[in-house]
Amino acid sequence: MFSTGTLIGLLLLSTCSALYEDQIKKFDWRALNVGALKHVHIDLNNFQPRLLVSTEEQVVASICPKTGALVWRQVLEKKPRGDIKLLQVSGFSDDSSDTAAAPVGTTLGFDMLTVQGHAPALVRGWNSNIGTIEWEWSIFPLNTEKAEDAVWFYSNSVLYHVVPAWQSHLEVTAYFATSGHSTGSTSKIMAAWISPESCALAGTYFVCISEGKQLISLDLVAKSTQVIRTTLEEQQQQVVGKPKALLGLNGVVIVNGKLVSVNKDQAICSGLQGSSFAVGSFNYRKVLAYADLNDKNLAINAVYLDNCSPVPELQQSLELPAHFGTPSLKNFDCKLKRNGDGKSCVFLFSTNTESIVAIQQGRIRWSREEALANVIASEFMDLPLADSEGTLENEMKGKAVDSKSFERDIASAFLRRITAQAVQIRSLFLHVIGLGPPPSDTQRAGLIRDSFGLHKMLVLLTKSGKIFGVDNISGKHHWQLFLPNVQGFDNAEEMRLIVQRSSKHFPLQPLCTIVAKDAKTGNGVLYRFNPITGQASEGGQLQLDYKIKQLSLLPETEQDFVKAILILDSSNKVHVQPKHAEPLANGIYLYTADVKTAELEGYFVKYAGDQLSCTHIWNVRLGGHTSEQQIIGVAGKNPIEHVHSQGRVLGDRSVLYKYINPNLVAFVTQSPDATHKSILNLYLIDVVSGSVIFSMTHRKVRAPLHIVHSENWLAYSYFNEKVRRTEITTIELYEGKTQANGSVFSSLQAPPMPLVERQSYIIPTIVEALRETITERGITNKHVLIGTASGAIIEMPWHLLDPRRPIASSTQGREEGAIPYIPELPLPTENHINYNQTIARLRNIYTAPSGLESTCLVVASGLDLFVTRVAPSKTFDLLKEDFDYILISIVLVALTSGSLIVKHLASRKLLKQAWK
Amino acid sequence: MSSKQNAKKSKWSLDFNGSKNAELSSVSPPGYNPTALVNQNEVVRDQRLVIKKSWDLALGPLKNIPMNLFIMYMSGNSISIFPIMMVGMMLIRPIKAVFTTQVTSKMAEGAQGTGQRIIYILGNLANVALALYKCHSMGLLPTHASDWLAFVQPQTRLEYYGGGISFI
Repeated sequence: MFSTGTLIGLLLLSTCSALYEDQIKKFDWRALNVGALKHVHIDLNNFQPRLLVSTEEQVVASICPKTGALVWRQVLEKKPRGDIKLLQVSGFSDDSSDTAAAPVGTTLGFDMLTVQGHAPALVRGWNSNIGTIEWEWSIFPLNTEKAEDAVWFYSNSVLYHVVPAWQSHLEVTAYFATSGHSTGSTSKIMAAWISPESCALAGTYFVCISEGKQLISLDLVAKSTQVIRTTLEEQQQQVVGKPKALLGLNGVVIVNGKLVSVNKDQAICSGLQGSSFAVGSFNYRKVLAYADLNDKNLAINAVYLDNCSPVPELQQSLELPAHFGTPSLKNFDCKLKRNGDGKSCVFLFSTNTESIVAIQQGRIRWSREEALANVIASEFMDLPLADSEGTLENEMKGKAVDSKSFERDIASAFLRRITAQAVQIRSLFLHVIGLGPPPSDTQRAGLIRDSFGLHKMLVLLTKSGKIFGVDNISGKHHWQLFLPNVQGFDNAEEMRLIVQRSSKHFPLQPLCTIVAKDAKTGNGVLYRFNPITGQASEGGQLQLDYKIKQLSLLPETEQDFVKAILILDSSNKVHVQPKHAEPLANGIYLYTADVKTAELEGYFVKYAGDQLSCTHIWNVRLGGHTSEQQIIGVAGKNPIEHVHSQGRVLGDRSVLYKYINPNLVAFVTQSPDATHKSILNLYLIDVVSGSVIFSMTHRKVRAPLHIVHSENWLAYSYFNEKVRRTEITTIELYEGKTQANGSVFSSLQAPPMPLVERQSYIIPTIVEALRETITERGITNKHVLIGTASGAIIEMPWHLLDPRRPIASSTQGREEGAIPYIPELPLPTENHINYNQTIARLRNIYTAPSGLESTCLVVASGLDLFVTRVAPSKTFDLLKEDFDYILISIVLVALTSGSLIVKHLASRKLLKQAWK
Repeated sequence: MSSKQNAKKSKWSLDFNGSKNAELSSVSPPGYNPTALVNQNEVVRDQRLVIKKSWDLALGPLKNIPMNLFIMYMSGNSISIFPIMMVGMMLIRPIKAVFTTQVTSKMAEGAQGTGQRIIYILGNLANVALALYKCHSMGLLPTHASDWLAFVQPQTRLEYYGGGISFI
């Protein structure tokens, strides 16, 4: 027992890869995001100027209005519980309806209040200076379904809860905001015209558009409810959709870019046209500001609300970079100064690319890229070579291409080498005397490949269609791109980011492609761009005239090294982009998986007579006899993976060969079950032949499921309902002690069924993401990166997840180096690769090889972004950071000089002896 | 008569009156006794000694075997510096000896030289074999499939696939 303990201790010690204190933030960085804006409150005249926001990502935060930096941030519960419905800030600068709220600091009033969720609805009071919850109360509605559409508003220290029963009535309940006591009974207001598509709450008014011609509204706080009908001005087109409430003015809505007041007491300025409006105050007068975007030019105008005269001090316009998309004015505030020149006014915009832009004096004061809270794909791109290395690379390539005429080749290669070196010397000389050519943009930005390939361009694709080029060392955003009118595919399949040409083909620029769906037509869209500069290439956007069903990457072409994309369209025809690579599509297999029916279909692509054809060759039904099974997970292997070791050495020094089938894909289905609640099935299917290699069933187990599939193993996590914990099952496939065919692997020649090793482990945390590390040659050990719900990433060595861990301690197992089986996986804090840099709402982890065999680059995305690198087998190919160069050079110099001196002395002595 | 006299005289006396014949020219100096020059008995005894010595030499390696076996048994199969050193010595000494057989056998050239040489080499080879066996049991010889695993090339794939969950 003692020996087992020490063995495990030693193994854990050997795998611990914790950072030293001085290495913190040396190779990693974290970017904090809040998400797209929902509610904004800006207050520059407070003792502490503040910008309080709530977002679509269920975050409440305070942002510094001067710099855009986060002051504090609270990540609330996930949807639907955390869905923020109201953000109410009490302050003196707010409009009259709020002045009843007691000032900050008293027990009666509140600083900031949020309402979130519907069942239960949580009302929380915050301290907006430090971001702590001060009090909370909740209500649980009787009818949770109806309460889903509930809206809340605040008026005179009373919080109103409005539950609409569509096409019937409204239920309004009033609560004291800070205590949660009901002020009376729930009032029922009959309103048969209300529907979810056409109604909105504007201040205390519930406004609906009726038949596109008139507004029907109800004042919910009036003592006697009466229906107010407001006829809309003559409109060319019918009004569709909801009216938009204008915050700050009670009973004013925006319909077709124009303001309409349903409140008799609230006069508005008619004739204003803008895409977005906001109310604020300037020089103690209420001001209505509105903004419009005309072809990159953002114009901000403002009028005084009392006499509708324009405010020239606030009028400004600026050119907004295209990648921000369409902005809408959310709020603005001006600092009270003696000379009210409007220079201290900050206009806050949110854009459809999920950016937050603050504009002051006609300039962008700061901007936050909140699209990064929704990263859906990521690629690490090698940076371009420096000029001198580029010519060298060219030379190497020239050698490789024409190696036929050998004799001539040597001479020409020699000549090339001489000229290349002459050019290098010349450029060095010019550089020294300061006459060299000006460095290119990428060079100036420091985007030069380093010798270890650790410095890369991180291309991030976000859900909003915005693409970022981020430096993986410094975290700087080098470029941004915005693709309007694109969206992800059906079945929750996101847009794809594909590398068509890497940076390895020097004079040719790298090429990346976004594959997406057109938001309007549903057809496929390709967008080609250079991932280093962020500029469109090869014509940029390409609208396809068919819907994309699936796609695949083809091998590189000979002439331009582009990996073409093979697309299967909705009518099962295949297309290749670019077209000249069509011959390479010959012999490619494709498969599609229907999530709902759990049916798989296999296709074979043939190229004959300049024609591509696609034949349906197999299908597999995983639906079960009741057809209730649904696919909840599909995992193939990383196509760039190299497997270095072909087998595993056993205790008796024989080899157990790995079953490495590159065409193996894991499918997981889930179905409800009468006796076992829910059943999870795992299938390993060869998608070339369609044969089921292995299948396994888990009972009383359900999603969330995360899979990682690599080499000859598979690990997946799920929730065990019976014992209510998360478990990880691992599977390893082996061919046996001999290899059937050592040279080639063909799925069609029926390789023997593999031996399967399996084991389950308990993981005492909730798994949010799983990913394996990957390195250039696959020599380094593989670790599994486990992202947890608490925002940590744990590096789990494979030998802890190994299904061959022996149950009973045996000599064979010990010889093999396997640790005896213990059901619980240890999660030591040294293995948290993000130490205390918690990643809020961790969703996915991406890994990529670096130029060093030992090192793997990691980016974790969620609400936050975390970039680091890991070395699963330690940095065996790198000198230690604290390597003492000075000491070793001193020792070397001392030894060399010492031996020289001694040699001299020895020869003198010999000479003397000879003379004696 | 004279011969009789001669016989009576001591053997050191010289007879100068002897007939002058061909024998005279090959007459040995006084006091020289051709029979005393080579003591046949002694020569035979020496040669036997040499043969015995060289057999000793030739059989030496074979005689070492039990000793080596004992050392092997005592040093165990663990890989540490002393067993490694011993195995190294056990392996290198006989090989060196085999290569210097020519020098050794110079001393023992005789009728049985070839045989001795063969025995000597065989003995050394037996020692080498013993050392190799020791290496094998210590796991130092690449005799298992696992020792060649690093050189196994990955299988090249013949088919390529693409696809995933349907986008429609």
